[in-house]
Amino acid sequence: MNRQNETILKVDDVYLSYGHVEALKGVSLEVKRGEIVVLVGANGAGKTSIMESILGVYQSRKGTVTFKDKNVTNLSADKIVRKGIYLVPEGRGVFASMTVIDNLLLGAHHNLKNAKAKLTYVYDLFPILSERRNQIAGTLSGGERQMLAIARALMSNPEMIMVDEPSIGLAPKIVSDIFKILKELNKEGYSILLSEQNVYKALKLSHRGYVLETGKVVLTGTSEELLINPEIRKAYLGA
Amino acid sequence: MEIFIAQIINGISLGSIYVLLVTGFNLLLLVAMIIHFSFPIVVVLSMYVSWIVLGLTGNNIFLGVIAGIVSAILINIITAPMFQHIMKKRGDVDINSTMVLSMGIGMIITDFLSHSVNSGFPIAFPDNLTGRNLGAFFQIGMISISRGDMISLSMGIVFVLGLFWILYKTRAGRAFRAIAEDPAGAKLVGIPILKTGLQSYAMTGVLGGVSAVSIAILLGSASPGLGDQLGHKVLAVSIIAGLGNLKGGLIIGILLGILEALVQGYWSGTWSNSIAFVVMLLAILIKPKGIFGIKL
Ligand SMILES: Nc1ncnc2c1ncn2[C@@H]1O[C@H](COP(=O)(O)OP(=O)(O)O)[C@@H](O)[C@H]1O
Ligand SMILES: [Mg+2]
Repeated sequence: MNRQNETILKVDDVYLSYGHVEALKGVSLEVKRGEIVVLVGANGAGKTSIMESILGVYQSRKGTVTFKDKNVTNLSADKIVRKGIYLVPEGRGVFASMTVIDNLLLGAHHNLKNAKAKLTYVYDLFPILSERRNQIAGTLSGGERQMLAIARALMSNPEMIMVDEPSIGLAPKIVSDIFKILKELNKEGYSILLSEQNVYKALKLSHRGYVLETGKVVLTGTSEELLINPEIRKAYLGA
Repeated sequence: MEIFIAQIINGISLGSIYVLLVTGFNLLLLVAMIIHFSFPIVVVLSMYVSWIVLGLTGNNIFLGVIAGIVSAILINIITAPMFQHIMKKRGDVDINSTMVLSMGIGMIITDFLSHSVNSGFPIAFPDNLTGRNLGAFFQIGMISISRGDMISLSMGIVFVLGLFWILYKTRAGRAFRAIAEDPAGAKLVGIPILKTGLQSYAMTGVLGGVSAVSIAILLGSASPGLGDQLGHKVLAVSIIAGLGNLKGGLIIGILLGILEALVQGYWSGTWSNSIAFVVMLLAILIKPKGIFGIKL
């Protein structure tokens, strides 16, 4: 990536309510091209809400979202996907009744022309998916589903991938594998916005982080800074 | 044996019509999120349009078939804005309101057919459409199958295969199934929900037209009450298969067709509806969530 340090995503003062529940109370953050940025925070802090707000799922959210210098605040999710953002949903969001290959092709729904080349690419990255391509996704293990969800994201030809709590419900060994894959993808040039409760592993992987508490950013810095921050060590790292 | 084979063929033909109608109903329910149980009544209206055009053109089969298909698509386009209005407000609006809309459309059509076409008497389709004038297709010993039966059978099989090919092998079909399984999840992976809903609506229009022609050929007649009768069966089949279960609807639709045809062949045509509903009643008592499970 030649345009290092260029901001790819900018989230400015975003508010979101679900009825009476205020999930986001003025969140601002940014992701630079080629970065892995992590959102850490407890359950209910607002990590999923931020990602879905960026994706344009809720027309009711306030604030601005800028992607590659374009204001994308009012675009619907399918338009945002075309712009190059793709979400790997919490709990993977894999369609259990559909085959692996159908799930993958859903990722390329907006540009099926390049689907063949993309399939070769993701099968190369995840040989297990190639083996299971005609299997129903509901029969996959948790780790395989996570790989499928990441592969589906790659099928969409994204520039930025948002990965929402990939480690949930996975054995530590599988989590390490998934994190290795994310690191690999980042090296290939994908910008990544990650959300995690597995704070230590996530900070080890990422370049920068934002700490979220009840819908607000309470702390931000490079991952090295956050790892040695006493409050973080106390609240999230059990030190 | 000859009755058995003939009735199995008729049963599959009839069943394939149920499959087309049930799948259309399921698509509207799952993808467009419309409860349109009057869909078969709209199909019967298209049969009437086809019949009128046949009468006006001296039984020109080509024009009659085109009229049936085009009218079904047109009726869908005309009613689309009302359903679309509800679809857009989904979330704020109870989707049961689509049911009231569907009911209204059904009532108006049935009323219109009872008063204004052929004085409300049943209509009969000409032999050159139904193929009844063509004689036997083949005859081996005692077994004789008419060409009309073979036309119905092959149309049914071709249309059902075509429909399931679209659902399982095309981009649009993939999006339909994704929304059917998980609408919120489909939105998260970038499937345009409203546009895909409208596509499913357009496709059921075509499906309706094709069904109208198939029913005309198979039954050879129609009456104002036919739509209600089909509507009840379609609703029952979709619930017994498991609401929204596409493959389940395929199997139960064919089985219902065969059951009815066998009752007609071995006992009495006048009882086939009652017996069909008795069997379906038993099925729903034994498996309240549908034989193949609800997919909603
Ligand atoms: N669909 C919803 N309806 C109502 N409240 C919600 C909904 N989704 C999330 N919330 C609330 O919004 C807040 C933020 O949730 P979420 O973004 O899911 O947090 P996280 O992903 O960090 O666990 C929580 O208080 C949660 O209960
Ligand atoms: Mg979450």
